[in-house]
Amino acid sequence: MQVNITGNGDNRRTLVVVFLRGGADGLTLVPPVGDSDYQNQRPLIKVNDRDIVNLEGEDRFGLHPLLEPLLVPYKEGQLAVVHCVGTEDTTRSHFEAQDLMEHGGKNTAGGWLGRFLRTQLDPGEQQGLKISPLSAVALGQSIPESLRGAPSATALESLNNFSLGENTTSFTQQLESLYRSWRMSPGLSEAGLGTIQAMKRIEKLDTNDYQPENGAEYRNHSFSQGLRQVAQLIKARVGLDVVSLDLNGWDSHFGQLTVMGRLLSELAHGLSTFYRDLDRQHMETVSLVVMTEFGRRLYMNSSLGTDHGRGSVMFIMGGGVNGGQVISNWKGLKSEVLEGPGDLPVTTNYRNVLVPILKRHRATDLSAIFPKFELSPLVDL
Amino acid sequence: MAVSAGCDTSLSEHLWPYTGGPDRENTAFSPPDSEAVDLVSHCLNRLSFGPRPARQIRYSPFQNKPAEIDRHPPFYRSCDYQRLSALGETPEEAVSAYMEEQLQPGKIDDSLAEFALRRFQTIHQPIGELFEYQEKFLLSQLTLVTLIRAVVSERQLQEVMVQFWTDHFNIDQSKGDCRWLKVWDDQEVIRQHALGKFPELLKASALSPAMLWYLDGRENIKQKPDDQPNENYARELLELHTLGVNGGYGQQDVAEVARCLTGWRVQSKKSGKFLISGLGQVEFDQHLHDDEKKSVLGQIIPAGLGEQDLDRVLGIVGLHPSTAEHLATKLCRRFIADEPPSGAVQSVAASFLRSEGDIGQTLHALFQTDEFQQHRSNKFKRPFNFLVSALRATGATVGPNPESWHLEDQPLCDYLLRMGDAPFQYPSPDGYPQVMIPWLGTLLWRWDFALKLSQNHLPGIRIDRQEDLEAHAGGAEKLLAHVFGRQADQTELEAYRQSENGLALALASPAFQMC
Repeated sequence: MQVNITGNGDNRRTLVVVFLRGGADGLTLVPPVGDSDYQNQRPLIKVNDRDIVNLEGEDRFGLHPLLEPLLVPYKEGQLAVVHCVGTEDTTRSHFEAQDLMEHGGKNTAGGWLGRFLRTQLDPGEQQGLKISPLSAVALGQSIPESLRGAPSATALESLNNFSLGENTTSFTQQLESLYRSWRMSPGLSEAGLGTIQAMKRIEKLDTNDYQPENGAEYRNHSFSQGLRQVAQLIKARVGLDVVSLDLNGWDSHFGQLTVMGRLLSELAHGLSTFYRDLDRQHMETVSLVVMTEFGRRLYMNSSLGTDHGRGSVMFIMGGGVNGGQVISNWKGLKSEVLEGPGDLPVTTNYRNVLVPILKRHRATDLSAIFPKFELSPLVDL
Repeated sequence: MAVSAGCDTSLSEHLWPYTGGPDRENTAFSPPDSEAVDLVSHCLNRLSFGPRPARQIRYSPFQNKPAEIDRHPPFYRSCDYQRLSALGETPEEAVSAYMEEQLQPGKIDDSLAEFALRRFQTIHQPIGELFEYQEKFLLSQLTLVTLIRAVVSERQLQEVMVQFWTDHFNIDQSKGDCRWLKVWDDQEVIRQHALGKFPELLKASALSPAMLWYLDGRENIKQKPDDQPNENYARELLELHTLGVNGGYGQQDVAEVARCLTGWRVQSKKSGKFLISGLGQVEFDQHLHDDEKKSVLGQIIPAGLGEQDLDRVLGIVGLHPSTAEHLATKLCRRFIADEPPSGAVQSVAASFLRSEGDIGQTLHALFQTDEFQQHRSNKFKRPFNFLVSALRATGATVGPNPESWHLEDQPLCDYLLRMGDAPFQYPSPDGYPQVMIPWLGTLLWRWDFALKLSQNHLPGIRIDRQEDLEAHAGGAEKLLAHVFGRQADQTELEAYRQSENGLALALASPAFQMC
């Protein structure tokens, strides 16, 4: 039987899920170019055409200027954008939409990431044992609904939470000798020794000492620092399958320019620094997904903000993604295209974006991960 | 040895029965003294969540003030191993008496557990009232109650079987109204019938509003001629709850069972038109029922039976030989070995059929098999059982974190989440795994827990210091024998003696992961 925590040279893949809570406006993140409906409906909070960052070969959309750092992975074919994406939920309620998205279905038990990890685990098949103590990590105070039901899920605010605490070197040595001399169940002995190995690797990781590579410098805000820890964990090969982290505060009913400005900058800086730090070699085994529960209404409200809408964008980075493109069944923003009170419609269900990614992470039973939904995964992602 | 409860200021609220070290004169502590796990220890490992040390217990049923508790005379409980051993002249007689006792939970005085749980009134609310609570609060309460009962209750086999049936009839509370309804299901379905009759348990589960939500039974309706039944529950009823996947049914049987079960509805929170008193009520709607003739496993169910179709279906599958074998296999996996020996499975299945699904008699037959008596220390404790057995082994006082009711802030729940074994949170209907392999990735958190427990770093949980536990036990050898259910070997004893955290090391050791 394999030891369940593998060292360097394994082929473990890590899926990083970034959730933009609050309903991030896709039309600000990735605005349409030269679209008079967009310009007219958002007189005071639009991204001006001249400011939109041009995406090579893409004439429908560009990036918000604050997202310019994302041009690097985009040009290198490592970042793809999906537009008009979302859930089938039409309540426009944060709770309902997040619930549906994270559970992977309406009235569905457990989270989609939790089920993904469970389906990776086949109790009858010893070689199938892949779950490490650090298989699923939520950076933050609590485990998100998407990880509910995972075979192991740890919420942590810092890497330092991973150790057995201070002054436990001799304790660990004694454990090692007990597990080494345990004869009654070899599987337990091996798992114990494997865990000690992983623990030693983790204990060597001093977060303060971590040196990002390729000149990457993470800023001192929590999203970037979170990604810094993720990068460190990935490089340390501690058996990470899934990480989730949130970037909160996108609910821009009021003063959208102010609300979103800081967040756009944090998002762009975090993602581009992470990309730079990991470089293409590491990114091969890492997929990063950015998602949000819904987009926002096309027209500006009286408080220079926008209200809850439907479709928004997703970003997919690394992991062999077919990047450098915006995938969208785009029909413009004429009123007959809009849904309900004037919302960007959802033309791509978020599951169909996640499925090709999960496949690259060796998911097999996709209908168990996303039950009761007829999947038609995006083919060119 | 004098123990004064009143001086322990960290427990000043005295919400929980305080347990201290034993009084030597009243309770000698004599743990096992054989080199391998003996029959008595074996039964404690399997029929309970593990042996407890001798304790002096002080609590006042009426007053929680420290002064009152000090006035209330303590009572003494000898260590489980010793109490059990004394139940008969020989170990065989003793364990036989223990099994008889445990198979009749209603006759066991459990007032200490009742005392410990008296603050958790939410779990006894009428079904409609449950919807008045925040769902996260309910989950936190239900999880804590489950943990505390497993630690404190004298009705240990009942608690072990509650865990077994909770997995067998798994309901993930995160789905829809299960957030509220699982509380009722736990009390009225699982607990009510855990050691009762399987057919009654099966019917209670079939009509449990939580189950109707979890497996979509409430959406299984036939209103118009082209309505297709929802087969979710029907399939799991056959595959997981009764016959087993190779139990001799086909897709046609699934479809026919689904037709029989059309029309059962639950008054739900979302519909908004019901008074609280009606929420969660299950009712049969004849207009949504397919009342034509059906055929299940070759037996005809005539047209026009209405809601009686349910009884017909359960009558066909509940005591079917395949059901007997399926349940016997799972019980033997739980109580004997990950690869259940076929001889034992056969005799347990036979007993199940002979007793018409009497769970107590079925278990009795299982415990009598040679295979049960011989397979010792070969089962890996799943995380829940590890935590509870560690708390029992150390005689811990267990209560909620007084600072916060949130699930994640309860140290025990937090560890269970990390290890993927939090009760009522398993997403798919097959329930948590009962075998070793899927749990092997959880050792780090077990070791961490052992350290934190031994250092009293877990809010709401207190144990005696290692030297006191050792002194109560009468020395290191005896304490380890109590923890391991046998004498410690040379390696274990040396490691314990050399370590500054000997108790934590014992709880983190490979031996303590097994039962």
